[in-house]
Amino acid sequence: MRFITDNQTLEDLKIVGQGDHSVISIFNRTVTRGGAALLDELFRYPLSDANAINHRSSIIQYFASIKAVFPFSGELFDVLEQYLSNTDERTRLSPDEHTLGKKLTHLIAEDTDYKNIYKGVTAVIDILHGLRSFIDSIGPAGGPTRSTHSPAADPAGSTHAQDEQFPYYTEKNAIAELLSDPVLELLVKERSNSKIPYNKVAAYDTLLRFRHRDTIKKIVRPVYYLDVYLSVAKVALQRSFVFPRALPKEQHTLVLEGVYHPQLKNAVPNTLYMGPDSNVIFLTGANMAGKSTFMKSLGIALFLAHMGFPVPAGKMTFSVFDGIYTTINLPDNLGMGASHFYAEVLRVKKLAKELSLSKDLFIIFDELFRGTNVKDAYEATIAITGAFAQRRNSMFVISTHIMEAGEILRQQFGNISFQYLPTHMNGNDPVYTYTLEAGITDDRHGMVIVRNEGIIDILKNGKKKIS
Amino acid sequence: MSFIADKQTLDDLNLPGKYKPDSIYNLFNRVHTTGGEKLLDALFQHPLTDPDEINRRSELFRYFQQKALAFPLVGESLNVMENYLGGGGGENFVMAITGTARRKLLDSVVRDEAYSRIKTGLLTTIEVLKLFFDFMGRLEEEDGLDGPFGKQIRRVKEIFNDRRLEGLRTEWEAGWSWLKVARYDHLLRNLLQTEMATLTGIIYQLDVFMAVGHVAALKGYTYAHALPAAFNTIRATGLRHPRLEKAVGNPVSLHQDRNMLFLTGANMAGKSTLMKAFGISVYLAHMGFPVAAEEMTFSVKDGIYSSINVPDNLSLGHSHFYAEVLRVKKVAVEVSVAKDLVVIFDELFKGTNVKDAYDATLAVTEELSAYRNCFFIISTHIIEVGETLRERCNNIQFARLPTVMEGTTPRYLYKLQEGITADRHGMMIIENEGILGIIALNPA
Repeated sequence: MRFITDNQTLEDLKIVGQGDHSVISIFNRTVTRGGAALLDELFRYPLSDANAINHRSSIIQYFASIKAVFPFSGELFDVLEQYLSNTDERTRLSPDEHTLGKKLTHLIAEDTDYKNIYKGVTAVIDILHGLRSFIDSIGPAGGPTRSTHSPAADPAGSTHAQDEQFPYYTEKNAIAELLSDPVLELLVKERSNSKIPYNKVAAYDTLLRFRHRDTIKKIVRPVYYLDVYLSVAKVALQRSFVFPRALPKEQHTLVLEGVYHPQLKNAVPNTLYMGPDSNVIFLTGANMAGKSTFMKSLGIALFLAHMGFPVPAGKMTFSVFDGIYTTINLPDNLGMGASHFYAEVLRVKKLAKELSLSKDLFIIFDELFRGTNVKDAYEATIAITGAFAQRRNSMFVISTHIMEAGEILRQQFGNISFQYLPTHMNGNDPVYTYTLEAGITDDRHGMVIVRNEGIIDILKNGKKKIS
Repeated sequence: MSFIADKQTLDDLNLPGKYKPDSIYNLFNRVHTTGGEKLLDALFQHPLTDPDEINRRSELFRYFQQKALAFPLVGESLNVMENYLGGGGGENFVMAITGTARRKLLDSVVRDEAYSRIKTGLLTTIEVLKLFFDFMGRLEEEDGLDGPFGKQIRRVKEIFNDRRLEGLRTEWEAGWSWLKVARYDHLLRNLLQTEMATLTGIIYQLDVFMAVGHVAALKGYTYAHALPAAFNTIRATGLRHPRLEKAVGNPVSLHQDRNMLFLTGANMAGKSTLMKAFGISVYLAHMGFPVAAEEMTFSVKDGIYSSINVPDNLSLGHSHFYAEVLRVKKVAVEVSVAKDLVVIFDELFKGTNVKDAYDATLAVTEELSAYRNCFFIISTHIIEVGETLRERCNNIQFARLPTVMEGTTPRYLYKLQEGITADRHGMMIIENEGILGIIALNPA
């Protein structure tokens, strides 16, 4: 089943999108365009199967450990894609046409069509050569051609063992098998850097572009995957991200140590543990104490973890969820005439529906019910948080300013963990630690901020025309 | 000095913006020409602060609304004309003649298109000018030269009375030799370049005035009457949001002794809509545009600031609350330098906890209200602030948007009443949506 999320979540966490602030931009170091497109695809479809997640993660981890370098240039693949995309039969080279007359024309003016085809054919040869030597250079020596060890016959557990030694084993074999295709072998035998005669180019062209196009396309896809894996591995190394370990869904646990926001400088790491006995975190703290940032780092780590990608944290173990939903910057849809409170209610309703389908979700809600008066917010927060708490298979992180709701919830539920982000006062200036502590805080410094900005003084001392 | 409205305000009220489907600009964008569109955009960018100028402009809109005429020209021909007129320039007559001769020759020899393009441009332009002149003539016939549009009519007449243009009408039927093309091409594009620019300018004005008048008639808008700033008053009845069909009209009246409206009401009772309706009307009124109200009189202000949807700027590390504080600070600075402003704050300090919001709202509101030359509408869900303000200030009006309960279903009247609300229906909305029951479905 697919891992579910929605646009609100992707926007809250700035997962995708152009610009330097998105999460995808951290990982977007691919060499090829195809790699970039594939990375985008992976971000759009995170995984919800623990084995698949661990498998991908261990491949990236393996490449990080051997510091592998992508053996191709991006232009090579641009040439290839352009070459393959031209399926017009009329551009096909015919072996008979290579007459003396043609040769003469070539002497006078360069035939661009032929030149492009020639470039395409040599690109294929270069790619095949590069791929061959790349896969030969990785993994245990002699490994890939072990024909006695067919992956299909593996008992279920041994993939796991395999992953630990050489996780790219299956993929490497698949590439090796593709390369042993008789047509491709023919091309592999062609030496690169040597001039290929017209007749041969024409023959190859027919094979590559018309008869065996799909074979070529098949070989390109794993290369794009390699591109993504290697660029993610490089990022993991550079930024010291860790590889999370996925557990089966049924375990319902989350261990997340030293998690931080990847787009902040000097971000402060935080640690949290969640499980069926503490599946709700009730988060309080003053404005600017870092509630939203903490929730975003949490969401980003979970999202990346479900892609099998490395995360900005010290350590992470998690049971797989069916999906993640965050509500951090909820826009009110005033064009439709709905108030902010109603937007919040509709959002909660949407989450409620998803929960009622027995999905295991990770839900983050920042400032639950801030669009209404205190009394209503207090009652609604208790009612909704209490109802959420009973969905033990899902996990919730809820922040609020209404600390009084926390006291009531503490009496009613044993599985809510109360955490806060503290503020210390240094004279008139609030100082924030950005580090979670257990409990509920009644810190509030709103008036201090208003006063520090000098708003009241500005108004008191301003020029009143009439008063 | 031009009327002040910053980006936040324009976004809140959704005023300009061709590419925002719900913008007020698009409400009025019924123009036929691209030049008219540009002019309309410029009017939206620069509201006025001189009451006479405002009243003169609204007089023009009203005039064309009453005329209820159809725009006499086709937008496409105007584009051709503008392209054509913009293409020439700088040549003397001899060069123009030889140039045209050369193009004509190329046209017949190698089917070059330059000549026929110029000929089409010229003929379209002449056609437009004729239609336009006839139309202006008709206006003159009906209303003379002293009507609101008289100045423009006079100018058009002056230009057409140029002796060199006399031939246009008579020679029109006689067919077109290349020499004649060359002559008129030179005349329109070189000799009368400024005059032609003036004419197109008046055509675009006409387009905008007619479009706005048409929208006003269609939607039943009225024209606000502008007074000098010293009157210090804004009074409107039947005020509604121009974007909402079947909107409920409300009266709003602010003046020196009652310069603040403190607005309360349940969620969804229509607070934001009322505030937007007020803000939009004030802005449109300063443009001389028709407003969605039964009647409106206002003294001109220096600008308007609103704070309805303050975005948090997280890339700068600001929380929602801090964004609000900075917004209030900006407005406070503007108010404190003796500008006459209209200020709209919706749900002031909603990004913080209620106790802070209470303290901050009370302190800021009380200080603001002392600026009697400025007008404020402030809404909050913290009812308690209102109670305290009522004790301390005598220049604040308290208004509420009521909710009536029909069984468990709230119904909103959208009709202002005096006082502070006691309605709270938040939990009821949650119950009506059946959320708690949904969450509890299919327990694990």
